[in-house]
Amino acid sequence: MDKILRIDMGADGGPKITETPLGDYAGLGGRAMTTTVVSREVPPLCHPLSAENKLVIAPGLLSGTIAAMSGRLSVGCKSPLTGGIKESNSGGQAAQVLARLGYAAIILEGKPKTDDIYKILIDKNGVKIVIDNSLKMLPNYDLVTKIRSEFGDKIACMSIGPAGEMMMNIASIACTDMELRPTRHAGRGGVGAVMGSKRVKAIVLDDSGMPMRTPKDPVKFKAANKVFTEGLLKHPVTGQALPAYGTNVLTNILNEAGGYPTNNFKEGRFAGAAKISGEAQAELEVKRGGLATHGCHRGCVIRCSGIYNDKDGHFLSKQPEYETVWSHGGHCGIDDLDSIAMLDFLDDNYGVDTIEMGVTIGVAMDAGLAKFGDAEAAINLVKEVGKGSPLGRILGSGAGVTGRVYGVERVPVVKNQAMPAYDPRAVKGIGVTYATSTMGADHTAGYCIATNILKVGGFVDPLKPEGQIELSRNLQIATAAIDSTGMCLFIAFAILDQPETFQALLDLLNSFYGLSLTGDSVVELGKKVLSTERDFNTRAGFTAMHDRLPRYFSTEPVAPHNVTFGVKDEDLDKVFAW
Amino acid sequence: MEEFPASLVSQIAQDGIFLEARAGCSLRAFLSGECCISPEYIDNRISTIFLDSSPVDDIDSAMIKDGSIIALSAAMPGLVGAAMRRGGAYAAIRSSITHAEKEEYCRQGTVIVRLKLFNMVLKELGPGFFEKGVYVKCHDLARSLAEQTDDFWEKCKELIINGEQIECLRLRRGHYDFNCETALLTITVSGLSHTVP
Repeated sequence: MDKILRIDMGADGGPKITETPLGDYAGLGGRAMTTTVVSREVPPLCHPLSAENKLVIAPGLLSGTIAAMSGRLSVGCKSPLTGGIKESNSGGQAAQVLARLGYAAIILEGKPKTDDIYKILIDKNGVKIVIDNSLKMLPNYDLVTKIRSEFGDKIACMSIGPAGEMMMNIASIACTDMELRPTRHAGRGGVGAVMGSKRVKAIVLDDSGMPMRTPKDPVKFKAANKVFTEGLLKHPVTGQALPAYGTNVLTNILNEAGGYPTNNFKEGRFAGAAKISGEAQAELEVKRGGLATHGCHRGCVIRCSGIYNDKDGHFLSKQPEYETVWSHGGHCGIDDLDSIAMLDFLDDNYGVDTIEMGVTIGVAMDAGLAKFGDAEAAINLVKEVGKGSPLGRILGSGAGVTGRVYGVERVPVVKNQAMPAYDPRAVKGIGVTYATSTMGADHTAGYCIATNILKVGGFVDPLKPEGQIELSRNLQIATAAIDSTGMCLFIAFAILDQPETFQALLDLLNSFYGLSLTGDSVVELGKKVLSTERDFNTRAGFTAMHDRLPRYFSTEPVAPHNVTFGVKDEDLDKVFAW
Repeated sequence: MEEFPASLVSQIAQDGIFLEARAGCSLRAFLSGECCISPEYIDNRISTIFLDSSPVDDIDSAMIKDGSIIALSAAMPGLVGAAMRRGGAYAAIRSSITHAEKEEYCRQGTVIVRLKLFNMVLKELGPGFFEKGVYVKCHDLARSLAEQTDDFWEKCKELIINGEQIECLRLRRGHYDFNCETALLTITVSGLSHTVP
């Protein structure tokens, strides 16, 4: 991982390939890499779909090694959805393969002058870019089948579906999983639209003949990986709850807490929750011959995913995650797992963010385009997006645009990005992160690491409400750092409770690169990433007024607790005061 | 029956089973007393507890009253999952819905409470509760039975309802008249015994 691949898609005479050493970007991975490149090289005021924007694809610092959970891929750009900086990340095989091919980043630049569609092949022999208009408007599953027939099974593929080609704000970039299915997505913020603007349909990665990346100190690295893996396996969340039920295990919990946004955030509890819970989902998957425990990439030991089969035992989709089950389920009043799995499949196939799509459907239901609970209508609305009909184009622009077009007053977005599956009135702390995150409403922006381990920002009394600002700040710092390692964020649960597992993560990084990072170094890295992102957003025109939830969250209580958000604006403005 | 009917237990236990409890007892006393759950399991496994929709930090001060709804869960993923844990580092995140004991409850007699079991706790405690017998809403039981697949009916031959052994064929054909609002449901599996940890 000692070079950067730049492809100028707008060069005279066709795409121009340049490979450069890391230079100033040495030592960066994942989100730290994408954020730094975008901040330095993309004019903040550019149109996100213009030639001036860049799409940066970066594996994590430990991707391509034997380290467990090291397969996250970061994708960065100026977001067409939010207008600010974006890092969207994905599981699947791409990060591992790209890292073994030696690339710390791929940067797509410029914009072709024609409508031709390109595919890019990267293997041990180099990079080839060819026009392939036979791929035009293919959905992701069909596309990957075609790519597979041409390049075989030993590849990983990143691709966009029709939504990306149509440059919709909610378009994702799909990454294939271990079975070479396009089930893992860099979903948030419309990164697929930016890839579409560069006219790149697919990036095929083949690491055949490439060795595993080797650490500077193999003995220490192996030992650290053993401790790290053991820590994940012994923890009740990463070793038991997630493998058994997946992330959808949260449905019952959020519902019981009254923090499960229902019918477009009108209520905090959904009567049909038990029917779509992780417990019900896992049971159904096993009964139908699918899998309730499955990894999304090689080297995953948590295995929080699964295989969801239809009534006849045929593959329907990967196990829909909690946020997907919520956005297409409770948020839209739908309590049928088969319909939700179908919606998940359609999202993956057309290449759209499942959170943004589901929330948009809920807003459309509020507008009267369908009734809450009408699963068939929801499926038809998503199909409109795939077709690119005028209605589909509106929905494909996201919840914010859909709300404006149809005159919906209550639209749950921050920086124009849809809120995930936790009502910020019941769980105020996550509302602070929704409001202030550089990414727009994002549940993963402030996710992990016990403050008492990292000692970020001093001691915070967990039982005092005023701790929420400090917690959100500390969590956002820590998350930015973890996103830069390329580690799956789900390692957070073990790190949160087990200091030795956190130390093992540091040992992995130190033994691989010959460094002596400490918890403080991780904090500094996280702060630097966030400061860079805030600076970009400021230059793009963002102000404190963008760090706010929609006003109705402060004025309209949500049942059953009948609480409002109620965090003061001046407190929100303190989140990044360090 | 040769195998515990996990699907039936799962559906009913997620909706909630009904148990008798001493009025005004603490949550801890209820779990260790009426539910016979060991102190180690309560402290180490049941990391998330809701009382009437509110996450509980202190199970010694939280009190049971008639109609209380209690939900038990193992440690959960995600920031919000972690925030719901008892006394966890992120409790501030959900402080506005945290359980706060304000009322003085009657401490005499018995009350009926509803107990919901989720995830690993459901898997580990569910069978034990049903072997001992739990009160269920008859319409919940009827609805759950109606949703069972052939696989369930092939394995499950009889259930014990209000102390009477009922052939599942009768239940499947709708030939059993529940004729009551709640029923005592007991499920025993020959050769299998589940003790509550």
